[in-house]
Amino acid sequence: MQKRNNYTEIEDFLADESFQLWILSKVDEQGWEEWTLENLQRAKLVEDARLLLLAMKVPDSKLSSHQVHESLQKTWFKIEQREELSRNTLKTRKLKIQRYWFSGVAAAILAGIFSVWFFKSDVLSNDNEITYKELVEENSEGLVEQTNNTEKSQTITLSDGSSVLLQPNSKLSYPKIFTGNERKVYLSGEGFFEISKNPKKPFFVYANEIVTRVVGTSFRIKAYPDQQNVEVLVRTGKVRVKSNDLVHAPENQEIVLLPNQAVRFARKDFVFNKITNITADPVLVNSATNIEQLSFEFTDIPVAQILETIEQAYLVDIDFPQDKLKDCRLTTSLSDQPLAEKLKIICKSIGNDTNYEMNGNQIVITTSGCN
Amino acid sequence: MSHILKNKALDDFILWNNLKNGDERSFSLLFEKYYRDLIGYGNSLCPFEEKVQDCIQDVFADIWLYRNSLQDNVIVKAYLLSSVRKRIARLHERDHVFRKTTTTDVLEFLFDFSIENDLVEDEVTAERVLHLNKLLNDLPGRQKEALYLRYHQGLSVDQIADLLDVNYQSANNLLHRGLLSLRKEWKGSIPLLVLISSGLF
Repeated sequence: MQKRNNYTEIEDFLADESFQLWILSKVDEQGWEEWTLENLQRAKLVEDARLLLLAMKVPDSKLSSHQVHESLQKTWFKIEQREELSRNTLKTRKLKIQRYWFSGVAAAILAGIFSVWFFKSDVLSNDNEITYKELVEENSEGLVEQTNNTEKSQTITLSDGSSVLLQPNSKLSYPKIFTGNERKVYLSGEGFFEISKNPKKPFFVYANEIVTRVVGTSFRIKAYPDQQNVEVLVRTGKVRVKSNDLVHAPENQEIVLLPNQAVRFARKDFVFNKITNITADPVLVNSATNIEQLSFEFTDIPVAQILETIEQAYLVDIDFPQDKLKDCRLTTSLSDQPLAEKLKIICKSIGNDTNYEMNGNQIVITTSGCN
Repeated sequence: MSHILKNKALDDFILWNNLKNGDERSFSLLFEKYYRDLIGYGNSLCPFEEKVQDCIQDVFADIWLYRNSLQDNVIVKAYLLSSVRKRIARLHERDHVFRKTTTTDVLEFLFDFSIENDLVEDEVTAERVLHLNKLLNDLPGRQKEALYLRYHQGLSVDQIADLLDVNYQSANNLLHRGLLSLRKEWKGSIPLLVLISSGLF
């Protein structure tokens, strides 16, 4: 910070990134203002530099991280095309999709088969299979069951604010209110979970023979009654998967999954396949649902557009006063927040008594605007 | 603040080295880090967005495919900007053959500077900023490009010289001549007192 004490010209300020951040984004406003006011000469220089900066705006390349990602994919694809061309040999094409996803934080779903055998069972007995029905019957708490018989996914918001995007031909049983120090739900079919963080109340999803335990994270579980495998894919956070206590399996090991990892549980064999590199499995890649592909990173985006993205992701209807919000723009990151949280954050950001009401998949937003 | 910048440079150094050694993740990280800046610069030289995207992707593809011949001590951002410029220049040249233009400068800086309207709070400021903006946009393209590279992309005078393929002194002149003519217009107009009392405080 002492660097600026030696500035003698406007150019010195202009070239200083922290000066730009102050003028354009009010970063460290107090620090800069105090320093500026220390002498008259300095104040004049700063003012001139500020005016110049305001007159020198350039068009912003408003690219979402999703778009950047797509370009990265294209680039790797081009690389592979050229490598293939130069090699000019018939090779078995190893799908190098993993290159597309090696970046920063939670990306989308990848697939690659790394077989890590955790335990085997020689006995192929039906006794070991556990179904959704059995689990729900066993549970003494009063559960609500929601079945998705439609062709589109349905959003379920649980009492803790978590959201579950239930896929067609799936059902979820859950308590109306989570009591006690555990949150338990039962899944048959497929769902994408965004769980509210609560370290004191771990969240368990029982799906056929496995139990997935999370604290606050987002992930997808696939557990159809008639399919051979149960799959869990993690998007963000950390998830622990193990076979249900009830099942008489030889060993009871826990598998920890980190972002972009998955596990495939072969029901007949009682085998867990941990997939640490979700790249080459086209099945996993192709089945990534809409919500997993949409970007919820918004930089200076009109509120109407943000709400539309939410409508698309959760298949809900949002009713809001268009004229009151037409000039409102937000910069915010809503990734991996359950639906209820997303709405809460948006309302808070707009401010001024903005609230939402949710009835099933109808959402109404009331607001007096963002000014 | 300077220690943050130092860390940025160190990160690039590490990523670049890893890339040279075939680390795909580092390549992807560098891509994501600089893609937007490169698109911004590309758009200032070529009005076709898709072509700009293609060029940048090709630049990166080349970097990967020819990573064995990359130099070690590279300022990644400057290198990338320079590569993008060269590629767009080549593209321009090829298309040029079919056009009968007599411009000696192959590439023109296409942007016009605009005003940060949200941050202009009063009329006095608005007038002055508007005036400055007009003066800036009246400058020749090379000078505007130099200003853009220095203050929007953060390049040093050396790097700008390299990128524009001129010597250090010429690059320096480009930067200063522009602001000099601005200063001349400036000085006359408003008394010091008004300056201090407007806007900032």
